[in-house]
Amino acid sequence: MGAWLGLLLKLAVIGALGLAAAHVGGTVAGLTTVCTLLAINQLSHFLLLRRMRIWLRAPDARTLPRDQGLWGDIFVDLYRSWRRQRDERDRSAITLERFRSAVRALPEGVVMLDREHRIEWFNQVAQRQFGFDASRDLGTVVTQLIRHPRFALCLRGTGDADPVLIRAGTGEGRELSVLVVPFEAGGSLVHARDVTQLQRVESMRRDFVANVSHELRTPLTVITGLTESLMDDTMAGADIRHHYLGMVRDQARHMNRLVEDLLTLSRLETQDGPVQEEVIDGAALAAAVVEQGRVLSAGRHVLTMNVTPVSLRGSATEIYSAFINLVSNAVRYTPDGGHIEVCWGIEGGVPVFSVRDDGIGIAPEHLPRLAERFYRVDRGRSSATGGTGLGLAIVRHILLRHQAALQISSAPGMGSTFRAVFPASRVADEEVVVADI
Amino acid sequence: MNTEHFSKQFDTELDELRSRVMEMGGLVEIQIRRAIDAFFSGDLDRIEEVIDDDHRINGLEVSIDDDCAHIIARRQPAASDLRLVMAVSRIVTDLERIGDEAAKIARMAREVYRRDRLVMPRLTDVRKVGEIAAAMLRDVLNAFVRLDAVEAARIVREDLTLDDNFRSILRQLITYMMEDPRTISTALDIVFIAKSIERIGDHATNVAESVIYVVKGKDVRHIAIDQLEREALAGGH
Repeated sequence: MGAWLGLLLKLAVIGALGLAAAHVGGTVAGLTTVCTLLAINQLSHFLLLRRMRIWLRAPDARTLPRDQGLWGDIFVDLYRSWRRQRDERDRSAITLERFRSAVRALPEGVVMLDREHRIEWFNQVAQRQFGFDASRDLGTVVTQLIRHPRFALCLRGTGDADPVLIRAGTGEGRELSVLVVPFEAGGSLVHARDVTQLQRVESMRRDFVANVSHELRTPLTVITGLTESLMDDTMAGADIRHHYLGMVRDQARHMNRLVEDLLTLSRLETQDGPVQEEVIDGAALAAAVVEQGRVLSAGRHVLTMNVTPVSLRGSATEIYSAFINLVSNAVRYTPDGGHIEVCWGIEGGVPVFSVRDDGIGIAPEHLPRLAERFYRVDRGRSSATGGTGLGLAIVRHILLRHQAALQISSAPGMGSTFRAVFPASRVADEEVVVADI
Repeated sequence: MNTEHFSKQFDTELDELRSRVMEMGGLVEIQIRRAIDAFFSGDLDRIEEVIDDDHRINGLEVSIDDDCAHIIARRQPAASDLRLVMAVSRIVTDLERIGDEAAKIARMAREVYRRDRLVMPRLTDVRKVGEIAAAMLRDVLNAFVRLDAVEAARIVREDLTLDDNFRSILRQLITYMMEDPRTISTALDIVFIAKSIERIGDHATNVAESVIYVVKGKDVRHIAIDQLEREALAGGH
C-alpha cells in the first residue's frame, strides 16, 4: 500500500508543480517542468537499475544498495532469495561431496556412465580393477576399455540382470563380478566386486569335500572287497586269511591316520586361543625328530643333523608335530639312498628349522599349492607312500599359530628344502628346558 | 577427436567405429585366453568352443571393413579422421589373424590331448609367453582407445622379449626331442602352439604401428625400432 501512496504522492507533487509553473509562466513552462521532473524520476530509476546490475555481479549484504521506496524492498527481497539459493547450493555441494567420498571409500569398484555409456566418473577401486587412467579415460565409451562381450550385452540391457563374471584387465587372473544398474536419466552405474578370493575358497571347499570322500573311499573299497572274499571263501587256508586280514588292518590304520590328521587340522583351525608358551629345547627336539626319521627310513636314507642349541617359545607338541611331518615327508619322497639334512639354528637373526633332501624335486608350478589339503604333485605316487595328503597343511597351520612361515625352495632334479622360519621374538632366553617328548 | 566437425553425426559414427573395433578386440582377447587355458587344462569342450567361436571374429572383420568403406565413400574424411579409418581397416585384419592363431592353438591342443597325456617339462614357459602375448594385445587396444603413441612404442619393444622367449622354448624342446624321440610329435605340436603365440605378438606389434600412424601421421612399418621410438616420442603433429 505504501508503494502506491508514494507513487501517487510523487505524481501529485509533479502535477502540482506543473500546474504552479503553468500558472506563473504559461502552458509551455508547465509542460516543460512536468517533463523535466518525469525525466529526473526516470533517471533515478535508471541509476538504481544500474546499481542493481553491478551489485548482482557480486552480491554481498554490505554493498546492498539502499533505497527508501519500492526499490529498497526489491533489493532486500533479491538479497534474501539469493542467500537462500546460496545456502541451498552449499548444502547440496556438501551432500554431493560427502556422497562422492563415501563412494570413493567403498571397497568395491563404481563407475558412472552417461546415456551414451561414456565414463563420467569412477572411484579408485574401479581405477585399479579395470586399469583406468583418470587423466585420459573420462568421456571414453566404457566398452572400449572393458571389452568383454557379456559386459556389452549387459550394458545394452539385452543380457540378464545377474552380475557377469569377467577377468579383469590388469594383473593376472583377477575375477570380477560386474553388475550394471540403471541410473537417473538413461545413465548407468557399473558395480564391480573382486571375487577372486571367493572363487578360490569355493573351489577349495569343493575340492576338499571331493578329496576327503575319495581318500576315505579308497581304503574302504579294499576293506569291503577283502572281507567279502573272506566270507565267501570259507575254505581258504589260515595263511591266506592271515594275509587278507593283515591287508584289512593296514587299510584301517591308514583310515585311522587320515581321520586323526583331519581332526588335528580342524582342531588347529578352530583353536584361536594363544598357543601354549613353553620353552622348548630346539636342538633336543630336532634330534628326537631325526631319530624318529631314521626309524621311518629303516636305513634307506642317510640322515644327517646340524643343530645349534637355540631354545624356542611355543607349544612343544605342536612344534614336534610340524617338524616330524617335514622330516617324514622327506623320508617318503626321497628315493632310496638319498641324503636328508636336518638343520636347526639361527639364520639371518631368526630361528630356522630346515629339512633338505636331494630327491626328485618339485616343479615350480606346484610350489604355491603344495600346502593345500590333499594337493598331490603326482597322484599315482603319493598313495603308495602312505601319506594322507594333509601333512603340509598341518605344518602350515601350526607355523601360522607361531607366527612362523613355511618356505619351500625346489627345482625338478635338484632336491627340495623346506624351511620353518620363526620370528626372532620366539627365541627363548630362559634356560628352563622342556624336552620330554 | 580433437578436430571440430561440422556434423556431430560424423563424430558419433567414428566413435561407433572405434567401439566396434574394441568389441572385436575384446572377443579376440578372450579367444586367446581361452585357447591357452584350454591347452593347459586339457578341457576338450573349451577347445571346441574356441574353434567354433572363430567365425564370429571373421564376421566382425568383414562388417567393420565394410563400415570403413562406407565412411570413406560418404564422408570423405581428411587428415586424422582419414588416418583413423585407414588404421581401423588395417587393425581389424590383424585382429582377425590373431583370432585365427587362437583357433590354431586350440586345434593343436586338441591334437596333443587326443594323442596322449602330455608329459613335457618346461610348459610353464609356454604359459608365460602366452600371458605376455595376451597382455600385449590388451595394452595395445588400450593404447588405441587412448591414442597413446608412447605406449604403442613400448609394445613394439615388448615383442622383442616375446621373440627371445620363443627361441628359448624352441631350444628346450629340441633338447627334449633329442633325449627321447617318442616325444617328437607332441613336441612339434607345442612348437606350433608357441609359434602361434609368437605370431600373436607380431600382429599386436602391427596394431601398435597403426596406433602410431593415427597419432603421429607417420608410417612406421618396416623401420628400425630406435627410429620408431623417436617418432612415437616426437612432439605433436
